[in-house]
Parts: sequence; C-alpha cells; structure tokens
Amino acid sequence: MNDGVPVIVFIGQPNCGKSTLFNSIAGYKAQTSNFPGTTVTHVHSEVLWKGEIYSIVDLPGTYSLSPHEPQEKVVLTHIFKEKPDLIVNVIDASLLSRSLELTLELLELEYPMIVVLNMMDLARKKGIVINVEEVERKLGVPVVKTVATRGFGTDNLMATIEKALKLKIRPTGPHYSREVEKRIAEVMDILPEDFPVVANKRFTAIKAIEGEMLAVDKFISEHNLAFKRELDRRRQEISALRDAPAYEVISAERHHLALKIFEDCCRVTRPKISAIDKLDNLIMDPVLGYFFLLLIFAGMFYLIFKVGSPLESWLLQPWETIKSTIENQFGHSLLAELLIGLVQGIGGGIAIVFPYFIPLLFLMGFLEDAGYLARASFLLDAFMHRLGLHGKSVPMFILGFGCNVPAIMATRILESRRDRIVTALLIPFVPCAARTTIILALIAFLLGPWWALGFYFFNFFVIAILALILKRWFKYDSPGLILEIPSLKVPSLKSIWQKIYFNLKEFVSFAWPILIAGSVLLSFLSYLRFDRVINAVLSPLVTGLLGLPQSLGVTLIFGFLRKELSLLMMFQALGVGYGQLMAVITKTQLLTFVTFVTFFIPCLSTLSILWKELGKKVAIMSVALNLSAAVVVSWLIRLVSSLF
Amino acid sequence: MFGKKNNNQRIDPVPPGGLCSLTEVPEGEVLKIVEIRGSQGLHRRLLALGFHPGDLVTLENEALMNGPVLVKNLTMGSRVALGRGIAQKIMVEVAAGDE
Repeated sequence: MNDGVPVIVFIGQPNCGKSTLFNSIAGYKAQTSNFPGTTVTHVHSEVLWKGEIYSIVDLPGTYSLSPHEPQEKVVLTHIFKEKPDLIVNVIDASLLSRSLELTLELLELEYPMIVVLNMMDLARKKGIVINVEEVERKLGVPVVKTVATRGFGTDNLMATIEKALKLKIRPTGPHYSREVEKRIAEVMDILPEDFPVVANKRFTAIKAIEGEMLAVDKFISEHNLAFKRELDRRRQEISALRDAPAYEVISAERHHLALKIFEDCCRVTRPKISAIDKLDNLIMDPVLGYFFLLLIFAGMFYLIFKVGSPLESWLLQPWETIKSTIENQFGHSLLAELLIGLVQGIGGGIAIVFPYFIPLLFLMGFLEDAGYLARASFLLDAFMHRLGLHGKSVPMFILGFGCNVPAIMATRILESRRDRIVTALLIPFVPCAARTTIILALIAFLLGPWWALGFYFFNFFVIAILALILKRWFKYDSPGLILEIPSLKVPSLKSIWQKIYFNLKEFVSFAWPILIAGSVLLSFLSYLRFDRVINAVLSPLVTGLLGLPQSLGVTLIFGFLRKELSLLMMFQALGVGYGQLMAVITKTQLLTFVTFVTFFIPCLSTLSILWKELGKKVAIMSVALNLSAAVVVSWLIRLVSSLF
Repeated sequence: MFGKKNNNQRIDPVPPGGLCSLTEVPEGEVLKIVEIRGSQGLHRRLLALGFHPGDLVTLENEALMNGPVLVKNLTMGSRVALGRGIAQKIMVEVAAGDE
C-alpha cells in the first residue's frame, strides 16, 4: 500500500480482454488489441469510484508465473515489488479451463483476489454455460461476470473490489496429490533462513521446485549448495512419480485440477457454427487465405484514399482562401509571413493529416480487434522465414502502418534478441500513418492512386531486400512459431474509438503544436533568410545527390521531428499552395523527395523508443541503415527516371 | 477447401497404436498428445499454453510453403499456430476409444 491508496493489479493470460476491461474502468489509458501480448509494460491508473481513490495496474498478459518469457518477468517483478492489496485475475470465459491454470498459480500467492470471467458473450456463443456460484465455491474467491467490450459488469466489478479490499480474505492455494504435497512441505521445512521468501513459504517452495534450470536455480546453487542438493533430491522424487520433469508434474497437476473445476462448473452444449466461423475458415484457408490477405490490405488503402482525398480537397479550400486574404491584406510584411505560417500549420493538421490519419487508424483498429493480425502471422510465417524472420513479427509490421513506436515496443514479445533487433531495424521502413499521409497526399493525389499503390509495393520490396541484407549480417537462428490464435470476432466500435482517441490525443497534444510552431518558425527564418544557411549546408545532399530544389533542405530537419511535417513544410519552403505544387517541381523530384523523406531517418519518437528498448548501438545502427538506404534508393529513383 | 483435400490425399491415416508427430497426421483426426520432445524452454512454453500429454488435439489447417500448422486443443478449447519444427516435436497417437 502506498499513501493509503489501495493497489490493485490486473493479471490475466494474453488476449483475455484485460486491457479493454482496464480501459472501461480507468478511462482511455492502455492500448488494447486482439493479439496476444500487446501490453508490454504495465500501465498505472488512478481511479476514483464512489469518493475513494484506487491505484490500478494493468500488467502484461502472462500464461504462467514461471519466468521464461520477458513479459512474464515484468509480471513477477511487479507482483513481488509492489505487494498488491488485491489481485484481479481476468479470464477469457470462452477458454475457462486453460485460463484456470494461471488462476490456480495465483491462488498460491495467497493475496486477496477476485476472478473476473470476461468475454461471457463469447463463451455463450461457444456453447459454454458456466455456473458462477460453483466456480466461486471451488476457488474460494469472489467471481464476477463481465463483457468488457460492452462495458457490462464493470460496476459490479468495482463494487466487488471495494468489498474485497475491506474483507481482505486470503485464499488458499490448490492441493496437489499427496506425494507432491509431501515434497512441497519438505522443501518448506528446509528453506534456508536467509532464503528470500516471496509471498509465503509454500509459494516460494513450489517455485523453487519448478525453477529447475531457470535463473532461480543458478541463484540457489551459488548461494547455498547444501540446499540445492536437498532441493534436487525432492525434484527427482517428484519427477519419478510421473516419469516427467518436476516442473511438468506440478504443471500437469494444475492442468488436471483446472479441467476438473471446468467439468464440475460448466455445461458444454454443441456450439452453433456461425457465419463468423465460416469466415474464419475462409481467411485461414491455405490458398484463399492469401487472396483475402491481399484483398484486405489493398482494399484498406483504397478505402482510405477514397475517403481521404475528397475530404482533403474540401478541407483545404477555406485555408487557401484565408491565406490569399492575408497576402492581399498585408503584403510581404513580417506579420503576414508569420500569419501565413500559422494558418498553414493549423490548416495542414486539419486538412492534410486528419482525412487520412483517422480512416487508417479506424481500419487498423478494426483488423487488430477482429483478431486478424494473428491470422496474418499464421499465413505469412513461411514467407517471413525466407526473409530471416518469423510470423510473430508480422503483427509488428502491420502495427507499424499505424505508428512505428508501438510496433517497436511490441517486439518485446519476440523470444530472441536477434529477432527483436532485426524486426526493430526494419519497422522504421514501414510507412506509418504519417508517411501514408505523405504518400497519399502527394503521390496519390497529384500523380494518381496507381502510383501510390506502386510506391507501396516498392516500399515492401525495399523492406524485403533490407531483410535479406540483415539476414546475412545477423546469423539466422529463429525459433519456431508458437502463437495463440484468438477467436475471430466482430470488434466493438467503442474499443476502436478508444484506440483512435489514444493516437489522436498524441497527435493533437504533441505533433500538432510542433507543426504549428515549426510552420511559424520557418516563416520567421525565411523572413530573416536564415533557412538559406541550413539549405546551403544540406545542399550537396539535397541538390547535388538527389536533384531537388535547394529550399527543401530545411524540411528534412522537420521531418525528423515528425514525418508529415516534411510534407507541410514543403509547401511553406517552396512558397506555393497545394494546387500549384506540380508547377514548381517535376514528377521525378516529387518521387525522389517522398522516397527520401519516407526512409531517411526514423522520426524522433521512433528513434527514442529504439534507444530505450534496444540501446544506443541499435538506435545508431538504425539511423545509419535508414540514411544509407534512403540515399541509395532515392538516387536510384532519380537515375531510373532520368532514363525515361 | 481445396487445400484440405490435397492434404487428405497426401497423408495416410495414422496406424492404430502408432506414434507420430503432428506434422505427419491428416487434418481433422482426433489425436492424443503422448509426448512433447525438444528443449526445456519449448517444453515449458507449451505447458504454459495448456498443451499437456494426454490432451486431445486436432490438426485444423496447414499454411503453404512448409508454413506453420494450426492445432486445436480439444481438451482446452484453445487454438495455437505452431511452426513445423515445433509441431515435429509433439508426438501423438490416434485417440481411439478416448472419446
């Protein structure tokens, strides 16, 4: 407890709807998705309910409490460090028996606990009828039913939390078979005085037995060899019971206890084969699946363009009018320049970013929540192996279309560091929402949608080539794919809206102010003619190598802050409006510029997350890779275009 | 659809009492996990995902180009995509008489 504010942690297996539930009571805080393992760090939130403050923590999804995957370590460290006042174990009710294995492990902690049966609607659809009172009786803790996507049951959950915090009832862990219990009791007895007891002695003993070959074991053998020998003897005895390693014997006992509870508390009727199951078979089909995959992504970008481009021209008009009014009114005074800078900053945000940004976020959110990302991983796994990666990286690349930052954070779920680095180095080449805006607003709008589509394919081609280069660099030893495929479902609009809101808030509070300030600053600099200095410095690259107008040099500086700034600053720098752009630069220059801006450097936020997640070396490597790829590819475009 | 037909033709049904890996079985047959081979890390991860010896599983789908297989754990109701290398380490037998 800190300052009397009760700490409540949400724990559950990946994809149990924990983050959605957390959001529905904590406001829009955590990013949710229908892909296992999206909450990679924990999210804190202070919640006010009936005049009381609660500190609620959303931990990453974890299948068990044995620390062999990175997210699970986060969970364990957190539980042990914060000593929560209450554990809220969220369960996907449609996967009750599997989920109960973690519940049984959590009960061993003997912390006050509540079990939440989430996704009750999905369970019903699968034909699972759960007797909640019976589950409550078997587990010895309060059980609450919820459907987080529709906000059903959240009030009841808060009321139960309030009550559980008052009662502070400590549950007891499950009882294993007599032979196993005997060994656990023995280990409890021989635990050395100075052994760090976690939660309670019984839990510590069980985890010590299960910790065979893990970091715990190394710690024990380094500190107390006599105890290690005794412990190993108990492990061997347990192991002999079922002719399997001790950790498997205990895990199997939990597995059977969970099954028993499931069988005693649930009635399974024959599920109806719904339209969504038929659709699932279709999109997972080994042949048709790929066709749908292509169709979904092509359709997605077509739709964004179809929605975005008329909206863009419509939204641009008033700002163009304001701009010309200012020019007529004030001429070329400092005030006029600053005002125009301001108008272009505000207008650019509204007219150029929103029309593409929002539809993209909506469709991405839809695919994510529907559970399509995991399916895409399944379909593309073999292809990704050729590139030296595996299917588990696919969702990160797809997430990268929205924004590279969460995509790089999501690489944490990859088991090997080598895969993490390669994936994180490639993600900055995925055209994120900002760059999609540039591609659609410049290439599709000015040259036509086919050019934009071509540009996308070209972009994927570049990523594939780079992946092959990186495969030579980093020795390939990718582990095989193990990925849970969540149920396909109709996403809730509320949850998609939460995601859009999350990203939009980020844009409005961070990027847009920079955009406006940058636009005004650029006007000021150009009034003082200072931008010429920057342009002159960058001139060998911009004009010499890429053959672009010298005045575009300064836009690259802004592109580092955020990619779409390059686009908006481009008009400012060239001193033309949107309509007249093609009068001042050629098609080749436009393509070269877009290519260079797309690739040349990860934007500031992406770079900082790379640094934070994978270290300075990888961040520098990423800059070097992007810069060289950008120079080579844009130069090639210039070369090829000059041939025609 | 077409993919499934091909698979059924390609692979013979598992002989009764025979032990084989998850990559050598026809789609749709109910099988029992007998043993999970491979490294301890893999072993632990599959256990945590609720795959235990004794569980009934069925192969639902296979991706192209030696891609992963889609396995449904009938005991637990969960579905998992497994790379071929991993599926090869899960040994199964026909679950005749178990259901």
